[in-house]
Amino acid sequence: MKKIIKKIVYAWPFMAFFVSFFLFWQYSIDIFSIPAYILPKPTEIVTKGWADIPRLMNYTLVTGSETLIGYVLAVVIAVPMGLAISFSPMLRRTIYPFFVSLEMVPKIAFAPLFISWLGFGLLPKVIIVVMVCFFPVVLNAIHAFSSLSDELTRFCRSTGAGRVAVFWKVRFPAALPQCFVGFKYAAMNAVVGAAIAEFIGSDQGLGFYIQIVTGNMRPDLAFAGIFFLTVLGLALFGLVTLAERIFVPWHIATRRL
Amino acid sequence: MSAAISIQGISKHYGEGSDAVLALDGIDLDIASGEFVSLLGPSGCGKSTLMLIIAGLLETSKGSVLFNQEKVETARTDIGIMFQDNTLVPWRTVRGNIELQLELRGLKIADYAQKIKDLLHSVKLDEFAKRYPFELSGGMQQRAAFCQALIHEPGTLLFDEPLGKLDAMTRESIRYDLQQLWLARKPTVVFVTHSIEEAVQLSTRVCVMTPRPGRIQHVIDIDLPWPRTIEVKASPQFSAYVHQIQDIFRGYGLM
Repeated sequence: MKKIIKKIVYAWPFMAFFVSFFLFWQYSIDIFSIPAYILPKPTEIVTKGWADIPRLMNYTLVTGSETLIGYVLAVVIAVPMGLAISFSPMLRRTIYPFFVSLEMVPKIAFAPLFISWLGFGLLPKVIIVVMVCFFPVVLNAIHAFSSLSDELTRFCRSTGAGRVAVFWKVRFPAALPQCFVGFKYAAMNAVVGAAIAEFIGSDQGLGFYIQIVTGNMRPDLAFAGIFFLTVLGLALFGLVTLAERIFVPWHIATRRL
Repeated sequence: MSAAISIQGISKHYGEGSDAVLALDGIDLDIASGEFVSLLGPSGCGKSTLMLIIAGLLETSKGSVLFNQEKVETARTDIGIMFQDNTLVPWRTVRGNIELQLELRGLKIADYAQKIKDLLHSVKLDEFAKRYPFELSGGMQQRAAFCQALIHEPGTLLFDEPLGKLDAMTRESIRYDLQQLWLARKPTVVFVTHSIEEAVQLSTRVCVMTPRPGRIQHVIDIDLPWPRTIEVKASPQFSAYVHQIQDIFRGYGLM
């Protein structure tokens, strides 16, 4: 109980700022006579959004699934690939520089192409999410698996242990913290990837929703859509952070934060 | 089985051609089984390089090392090894780290349960078996690292400045623990250090290395009683050895 009170007391400046921000927003609309079709009041967003909840929830599920499937797929492909690259000198000289240059290519720019190839369904969105998530995960995985200290490497060699044992008992746990850096970065960007892909070509999902309601001069519903996108992003990031706390409790960053 | 180590004509250079750095220049040394030999020298003299070559963890440019007449080709597994940056893994407890040595060697942990207890007791870490490395001070971590290096009862131990990062009092304390452990079982020990006092206190013989490129120009037998307590350290004979080595270093332009 004490801890919770402490946290609230600590957070009050932020909460006060948050509340004042919304109060300012709410009352500026009347003070400055801003029309509702430009900028809605926060209270309007809540009431009108609540009225459209079934659709919002459905679309949240759609965007959420695209994001989650794409994210998991990206991790499942990227981590083994990162492993392979960090252990194979040949791959490191061929694929790795290729990935580093590809990282600079804006993957979202591929969305119109994919949609024209693959249509309005789930697949092109999932592919975009995979592309967005793949690079941070693979690059961090490569770094993670290549970073074992000289001392630990020598220690393992002096035990005569086989490569598999050394991998599971030493290399893999040692690499986890850095891998999670990639996981978290990918989680931050995954939802954005899905939403933008939906802007470009979709018939459902939050990106589609925001586009439609904005076209219908309903910025209040657009904000509601944005709110749910934010929740999705936070949820994914929160899940990954939770996983980090479970799998890497010993790491200094997890302990500090 | 404490090994007898024979170092024959070891030379090591890093890099090629005009950029090459000659680290070791013709090292010859015979270490008898059960000896405690210190490699003493200034920073950069190649003592760590030599230790890694003995362990089979680094290839030599010239010459060879023999372990009980057997040539060192790859990493030796019949040794215990310890570095200045300890090899404790942060995701395991102290006990887990000691067990890691056994697991990697395919040894049954149950067989060593008592040994682990005894080792922890001998370095005064009994209550910290379930703690993680980040919960321990530097000195305690090095003590835990000792246990990790010794648990599989190796006949030969190689130490690369294990006490380098510790404060003076902790160093004294761990030196004492180390000496007790060595006297009990008499493994062959190669101990790399830059501390003259430490070398004289712990060793049967001190090999003084020159600055780079490293050569062993002086090998000094330390004829002092065991264990080398504070009284022994305060004795004039101890000081004489220390002064003798200091003179050698002064001759190298180091002190």
